[in-house]
Amino acid sequence: MGAERSDNRVDLIIVAVLWVALTGAGLWWATVTNLHPIGASSNAVISDEAFDLLLYLSMPVTTFVVVVLGYSVLRFRVSLDETEDAAPVRSNRLFIAMWVLITVGLSVYVIFNPGFTGLDALAADKNAEMTIEVTASQWRWDYRYVEENIEFLDADGLVLPVDTRILFKITSQDVIHSFWVPAFRVKKDAVPGLITEVYMTTTKLGDFAQDDGFRNQCAELCGTGHTRMRTTVTVLTRVDFIAWVDAQRNAEVSG
Amino acid sequence: MSILKGIVGGILGYLLGAALVTSIRAATGAEPWDFEVATMGAYLPTVVGWLLGVGVWEYWARPWFGREAKPYTTVGWRRYFNFDTDHKVIGIQYLVSFLFLFFLAGLFAMVMRWELMNPGRDILTPSSYNGFMSLHGTMMVFVAVAAIVGAFGNYIVPIMIGADDMAFPKLNALSYWLVPVVVAFLTASFLVGGYDTGWTGYAPLSVTTRTGALFFNLAFLTLGLSSIVGAINFLTTVHKMRAPGMTWSRLPIFVWSIYVTSWLSLIFTQFIALAMLMVVFARTLGMAFFEAAAGGDPLLYQNVFWFYSHPAVYIMILPAFGVTLEILSHFSRKPLFAYKWAVGGMIGIAAMSAFVWAHHMFTSGMPDVLLKPFLASTELISIPTGLIMLSALGTIWQGRLRLHVPMLFALGVVFNFLFGGITGVFLADAPLDIQLHDTYFVVAHFHYVILGGGIFGLFAAVYYWFPKMTGRMMNETLGKVHFWWMIIGFNFTFMPMFWIGMNGMNRRISDYVPNLGGTNRMISLAGFFLGMSFVIFLWNYIYSWWRGADAPSNPWGATTLEWMTSSPPPLENFDVIPEVVGGPYTYGDKSAKHAILEPRL
Ligand SMILES: [Cu+2]
Ligand SMILES: [Cu+2]
Repeated sequence: MGAERSDNRVDLIIVAVLWVALTGAGLWWATVTNLHPIGASSNAVISDEAFDLLLYLSMPVTTFVVVVLGYSVLRFRVSLDETEDAAPVRSNRLFIAMWVLITVGLSVYVIFNPGFTGLDALAADKNAEMTIEVTASQWRWDYRYVEENIEFLDADGLVLPVDTRILFKITSQDVIHSFWVPAFRVKKDAVPGLITEVYMTTTKLGDFAQDDGFRNQCAELCGTGHTRMRTTVTVLTRVDFIAWVDAQRNAEVSG
Repeated sequence: MSILKGIVGGILGYLLGAALVTSIRAATGAEPWDFEVATMGAYLPTVVGWLLGVGVWEYWARPWFGREAKPYTTVGWRRYFNFDTDHKVIGIQYLVSFLFLFFLAGLFAMVMRWELMNPGRDILTPSSYNGFMSLHGTMMVFVAVAAIVGAFGNYIVPIMIGADDMAFPKLNALSYWLVPVVVAFLTASFLVGGYDTGWTGYAPLSVTTRTGALFFNLAFLTLGLSSIVGAINFLTTVHKMRAPGMTWSRLPIFVWSIYVTSWLSLIFTQFIALAMLMVVFARTLGMAFFEAAAGGDPLLYQNVFWFYSHPAVYIMILPAFGVTLEILSHFSRKPLFAYKWAVGGMIGIAAMSAFVWAHHMFTSGMPDVLLKPFLASTELISIPTGLIMLSALGTIWQGRLRLHVPMLFALGVVFNFLFGGITGVFLADAPLDIQLHDTYFVVAHFHYVILGGGIFGLFAAVYYWFPKMTGRMMNETLGKVHFWWMIIGFNFTFMPMFWIGMNGMNRRISDYVPNLGGTNRMISLAGFFLGMSFVIFLWNYIYSWWRGADAPSNPWGATTLEWMTSSPPPLENFDVIPEVVGGPYTYGDKSAKHAILEPRL
């Protein structure tokens, strides 16, 4: 009995050391690696920070399971024809109590942060400088710039000014589609008979040629043309944007 | 022979139903012939005709009309092609049928990965890609929902609780013989050009798209019917058929998992039936359930669909948890750790699964005030799920692990599910899910849960109970090769999908932006590698069944009741009724006994 006990202690120490080491390595990897594609909106910051926080929090949990699993397999394995039983440990109050406490604690914590904090941050500012109506249909995107009063049917691209709070009002004319710009971390379904809304602030210049995150890609399966249902997205300086709007108006007049 | 009669019955049923509908239409002045309306009207007569022909009439219904029921005379391999009420026959029918569906759906995945290997179009049109993708998803979901429950729930649960059969053997046969109807409808959908809605079949797309969608709806409806009938049977069996002394706290954990799963099936499957019926009626009768302009609600479908389909995730994974914990205990030669917590975890998951469905709808345009409650409930479900992990780790810790093939697969479930579970926490976070929803991050997540957990669990069960079911041993070396091949192929296929999902690869597309080409190619190659691992399995499975070494009654030295009878067990499972005198996991205690099997006077 005594020998078994001290054995257990050695096992526990080794597991603890491996756990700390692997967690450290994992956290180091998570901090030096950038897993995120380009982020070009205020919403992208909220989304990426949520991901990073969850990645840090899940690191010790993941490594704990991996270490216990791996160590047990290597340390406690016996040959296939062994028939002797292990000691019948059916419970361990301390381990169970710790486990329940930690899982409850972590689960509740992530509800508030990054969960509720993120939702609150996304919904905080409802004063948009600019409104764009996005209308989806099989299989095209229409954009209407409300204040500028210009409209693009079956558009090739969406052009926006930088550092501008924008409200997208999204709807569909047939089935459900989804307005998704990866670089903005913005996704909202286009639902027939419903107008859905997204607020976000552009924070970076960019265009599709430079980074393919600047695209509006339909993210909800909508039939045969779903794959191809995308337009480019371009973010211009505010000055360039005004010039662009004028050019569009002139084109409309002369066209 | 009975299958032939079933087919004739089904065709007659279809013709009858279609004729009835067509004449009603003619009488009301509508264009008489409409394929979809006729098919909708013919659904019930077709199913009833098939069931009557395949055996319900001969073995079951004749006495209702004052005649003698035919006795079951079929013996040998022919039993497996017949309407048979022995739960062991039905278990094998389920297993072989769903393994077949699994490999077929796997081949579809190979076709999809072929298309996705390079940017641009390779072998499929966007439309046929959608067809393969939809069938792959649908069939795999059906496999995950029904394979373990149908095969091992049927074969093993009655023996584990010391019963001689299920509570309602005829109902049991009926629930199996609905499965060929499901397959027939899926085949029909394929023949009329497929459908492109994915397995989720979102309205209004499913209402306006091609005719294949109707057959998908009817297939899902039929599977639902089979699940509900099966669930009632399992619940009654576990409640009423336990051997003397088999108290609830002495139930093997696998029985608990099937029991809890059956409650989920019974309570929630009606909602998928409702969702499917609404789409069918919207298609054929023009009911405007989902049209806002006509007073419908465009999000109604999603709410009803996920109200079933989230609990369905647990219908898929709980039986695999049961198999895993069962095997971990036996092959660690150690009692299941924290048994009551594990049972509590299963019940907790089941109870909470009713309150999380809208986490699939964070970007759907549902009311913003509902985001927080569904975010919270979803994060909290990791607590009972964690209890399963607790039990698994506590069981192997300080055990004496014999790494037989079933044990390897059970350990694989723990490893794979870890990543599926953890990434679920990410997806439950609504602010983050906005980006990840409908991307390959989700694809990776649910493949880690359903393939890495559920299907690895299925294979663990196949290897574990194969000797019991066939009386033969599978080849251990080939089994190990299969395991390592599969788990390596699996992780190399699906781990990179988290990354491409985060980097802009959305789901259900046949082409993607060029810079994702390299990773997609790697994923495709790993996917083909994964696919090939099943060749080893199939060879081992078929050859061992045919020529494998004879299995003793208890090849693993396990302690539960199914190992206390011959392999395969006799017709009534035990020669004497077992008397249960202790818990199922008696390892490490020489004086402890689970059950006594002695002829009593
Ligand atoms: Cu789409
Ligand atoms: Cu869900």
